[in-house]
Amino acid sequence: MLKRFLLIRGAELVAFALLSTIPLLTSNSYALGLLTLLAIYGILLIGLDVTVGYLGQVNLAHAAFLGLGAYAAGLSVSLLGFGMFSALAAGLAAGLIFGGLLAFPALRLDGPQFALATLSFSALSVTTLNELESLTGGAQGLSVSRPAVLGHALNAPGFYWLCLILLALVWMAMRNLLASQWGRAFEALRDSPIATDAMGVGTYRHKVAAFALGSALGGLAGGLYAFNFQYLQPNSFVYELMVILLLGIVLGGRKSLWGAFVGASLIVLLPNLLSNRFLFQVFSAIGLLLALAAGGRGLLKKTTPPFQALAPIVAMGLLVVGGSLVQNTEDWRKGIFALMLFSVVVGLPEGLMGFAARYLAKLFRIAPPSLPPPAPLEEVLAARTADGAPLLELRELKRYFGGVKAVDGLDMTVRAGSIHGLIGPNGSGKSTAVNVISGLYAPTAGELRLRGSALPQGSLFQVARVGVARTFQNLQLFGELPALDNVMVALKGVYRSPLPLILLGLARDEERRAQAQALALLDLLGLKDQARTPAKDLTYGAQRFLEIARALARKPDLLILDEPAAGLAHPDVSKLVEIIKRIHQRGITIILIEHHMDVVSELCDVVTVLDGGKVIAEGAAAEVKRDPKVIEAYLGLANEAAPDAAPLPAH
Amino acid sequence: MDAFVIAQMTVSGALMGLVYALIAYGFQLTYATSKSINFGQGELVMLSAFFSLTLINTGLPYWLVVPGGLLFGVVLGLFVERAAVRLALEQKSEGWILLTIIFGLFGFSAAENIWGRDDRPFPTPISSDPLQIFGVGITPLEISVAIGVFAVMGLIELFKRKTLLGKAFEAVAADRDAAELMGISATRTIMLSYGLSGMVAAMAGILVSPITTVGPTMASALILKAFAVAVVAGLDSGFGVVLIGLFLGALESLASFYIGSGWREAPGLVLLILALAVRPNGVFGKASIRKV
Amino acid sequence: MLLVENLHAGYGTSEVLVGASLEVQPGTLVALIGANGAGKTTTMRAVSGMLKPTRGRVLLDGKAVQGLDASRIARLGLAHAPEGRKVFGPLSVEDNLLLGAYSRLPAFFGFRAKAAAELERVYELFPRLRERRQQAAGTLSGGEQQMLAIGRALMAKPKVMLLDEPSMGLAPVIVQEVFNTIRRLKEAGITLLLVEQFAKSALEVADYAYVMERGRIAVAGTPAELGQNERVLAAYLG
Repeated sequence: MLKRFLLIRGAELVAFALLSTIPLLTSNSYALGLLTLLAIYGILLIGLDVTVGYLGQVNLAHAAFLGLGAYAAGLSVSLLGFGMFSALAAGLAAGLIFGGLLAFPALRLDGPQFALATLSFSALSVTTLNELESLTGGAQGLSVSRPAVLGHALNAPGFYWLCLILLALVWMAMRNLLASQWGRAFEALRDSPIATDAMGVGTYRHKVAAFALGSALGGLAGGLYAFNFQYLQPNSFVYELMVILLLGIVLGGRKSLWGAFVGASLIVLLPNLLSNRFLFQVFSAIGLLLALAAGGRGLLKKTTPPFQALAPIVAMGLLVVGGSLVQNTEDWRKGIFALMLFSVVVGLPEGLMGFAARYLAKLFRIAPPSLPPPAPLEEVLAARTADGAPLLELRELKRYFGGVKAVDGLDMTVRAGSIHGLIGPNGSGKSTAVNVISGLYAPTAGELRLRGSALPQGSLFQVARVGVARTFQNLQLFGELPALDNVMVALKGVYRSPLPLILLGLARDEERRAQAQALALLDLLGLKDQARTPAKDLTYGAQRFLEIARALARKPDLLILDEPAAGLAHPDVSKLVEIIKRIHQRGITIILIEHHMDVVSELCDVVTVLDGGKVIAEGAAAEVKRDPKVIEAYLGLANEAAPDAAPLPAH
Repeated sequence: MDAFVIAQMTVSGALMGLVYALIAYGFQLTYATSKSINFGQGELVMLSAFFSLTLINTGLPYWLVVPGGLLFGVVLGLFVERAAVRLALEQKSEGWILLTIIFGLFGFSAAENIWGRDDRPFPTPISSDPLQIFGVGITPLEISVAIGVFAVMGLIELFKRKTLLGKAFEAVAADRDAAELMGISATRTIMLSYGLSGMVAAMAGILVSPITTVGPTMASALILKAFAVAVVAGLDSGFGVVLIGLFLGALESLASFYIGSGWREAPGLVLLILALAVRPNGVFGKASIRKV
Repeated sequence: MLLVENLHAGYGTSEVLVGASLEVQPGTLVALIGANGAGKTTTMRAVSGMLKPTRGRVLLDGKAVQGLDASRIARLGLAHAPEGRKVFGPLSVEDNLLLGAYSRLPAFFGFRAKAAAELERVYELFPRLRERRQQAAGTLSGGEQQMLAIGRALMAKPKVMLLDEPSMGLAPVIVQEVFNTIRRLKEAGITLLLVEQFAKSALEVADYAYVMERGRIAVAGTPAELGQNERVLAAYLG
């Protein structure tokens, strides 16, 4: 415990301490200027990392938020006479507001369209800053005076300490945020937005919050930027800066505070690197050697595709050769950044910190913090009365895909407390029906009622919020997250702390309680010992069970299991049956889609049989198996030659 | 306000808008087969234009320069596919966004250094003396833009509909796996789409350069508008880009005239953000079904 | 014509196929039956290249094709009508059929002439497709799409045709039609590997059958032999 604290916090404390003593050790204003800029860019990149690292999207608006924050802060001083803190708040607010405004349209989009939206916003901001000359001074530039802090003017060391303190505060707040449910939600929605919505964690709202947070930090950095240089012009915040920021994030390492810091250091040192030819050549030679080493190793071990191994070598080679041939490396600045960024994106996608983390983990072997004991199951899944009243009612449900009538007039009533089987041959519409119920698709026609009121349609998130949880036929786990986190993301009713408390790190009790509850569910599914294993590294059977544990974390009234036994080995199937029985005992209503007839027979109170999108039989499992229409649906032709024994439908 | 002046602005602007539409059309080609686009397409336009300028300066006749420039565009397009896109597609990641941005950045730097930072005039045998059509002055140069745009789009559409390779192209766009089962190599088809997209971009460069001059900054000027057109119309909207392009071009021209030349960019950008907010799949686009 | 030896394949962490072996003699119809999740479709996909096998061999007319790209295997003479049909929705019925013959037609011009004979044969087999030849494939009904998928596979004049669950999601009457078509294909001498969930119907048309269970072949034999086999009866025929 102490070892862990020392190693992780220790490094941070040492770095902070070292940095704060610099002004006392030297009076070199140039060095101080660089370090001040380092702190500012650190804040800026931490903000960028939220969208690029955690949400995994290419955000091209960040430089604009820097600019908008800078102008807002600068103008608040000259026009409104704000002091330092108010001015910085103005910068932060500008980032937050514009980021929020952009977030709403932009975040409904994926990848390329998102990048385009942010790019346009960026260009529009710069244009606006240029054109509003009366306010911003346009291309001529704007002089900014550095405001006083509580009446005292700040000299260079003073300003440096201010930036450093702010960096430290932002660092701590972000660390606390990312260790909380927010951080989990961010990672989950990157791995599987569908599952995130289906588990009642709003993908959209979290993305907006993440983006707004990042842009707020950008705005704050902007304020500091303005008071650092005391002169602003719109041209500083153009595309080229954005690319440099991306270079910093990618090279430093995504999803990492230290990565943002390392990246910021590189950005700050970059101009020096380019102006000194010798330094540049040394640097590019080192880069080439690294590329050769990594690429060669990857090729020999056949772990990397040839292109990925060779391309960085070519790029770095170009840098080395080009560096010795060109007259002036400054002229080729953009090209140099491009080659560096290319090598890193292709050859070292995890960045320097990601790379280092692997080795550091091997060297230091820090045991993860201990987990609390699992909560009692009754606390997590409160027993509910199963009164047999209709819980879910479907009337004339239809879902068409072009010419294909996947569901064509489905009537079904699921009673509270029952296990309701839904079976039928392949393509009979079972999965489509369940996808409509859970909100993945809106129905083409028909009514859906939950406890008598209309069920939300076409929204996984809203259906999850009214007490329906599901698993997926094709697994939709949060692959990169540990098993425990997969369940914790979905937990209902535990996360109540407001954001400020989380940022201050005061929500730890809540985290422990969430861990205990999640462990209880993992225990139910026999996965307690694999709580810390990333979901993608679990065996197939374990993954299937994990999806069930995760769905249970919703504490649902209605649980939909979509072919839970698919691909399971025999002993796992028996285990599954036991687990479903235990869930049933808690009073949870279950809809079970399955092909394993023995599972259906053993578990289901009622079975609905679908074929061609319509119900062809309904009743107790035993009855339904004997129904000639069902046999025909499964076997293809009326089975005149059936032996006397009760026939089992094929699948 | 003189109606003729407004008409003049509108028509000139709309013709420029056709160039945006052409580049947007190029985006659609690569998006259809691979769900990816070249974020550095503006630089591709610019580099092809510069290359064509170099060809002209070597004394080559115009009617040879055009195919030369187009060929260069094809080569660049293929390069982008191989170096920036293929790896990401194989890994099913969106890394191509960043990689094509990088391509653009490098292209810009190379252009700056090879051809210099200044804007250069692009000589053309086509005249710039305005013809009076219904009281509005349109130059043959502007008309050539329209002809060029429609000719390229028309040829490619013809290719897609009448040749088997073109149908294969549509097949990969519709269902990549099923297309592979027919013996159609998805990778080759994607290469084709990037080559065609490069050719289209080069054509746009050659058409527009005589009017706007060639320079490293022409890339960013054009590309955002082209993005706007592509997204507003919808990345799978076919000829919808033409309508949106005309609309945007006219709007820009009027905005520049009435509000101020610095605001020329604004309509496109505002339109883009609005469209993304209201109809992310584009005005003419089609929504897709998620499969679970 | 088609030989599969000890094939292993899977998705991500789960290995679905754990050593499947089967053989299809030229001119015969071989059925692959078994419960859902047994690995039948996975086998098809591993054979046609949609999925890369991790171990084992696939020999098409004596040539090893495991690990090759699907488009390459298709060009070598294997036609796969996949599960779910996967017709090219926005393209016309006729275009879909023409694309089926892609590997043996000229890419630019003259392809219609070269494909005419085969196209005619397909239209004779499926008159409904002729009626709808210019219609977009996505607007066809499920049964018509299945006809189209089979027709598309035929256009390639393949050495082996893989039919994956052709009856899936179709009304019983249409399923009858599909099996009649399969019978006619067999009479025409086409080599077929058929995956079906309707065991009984599949066995009625097959010359030989393999029963798949949990990723490997459990039982194999002629339909007559399998009809007597207790295990098969209990599990699949009732």
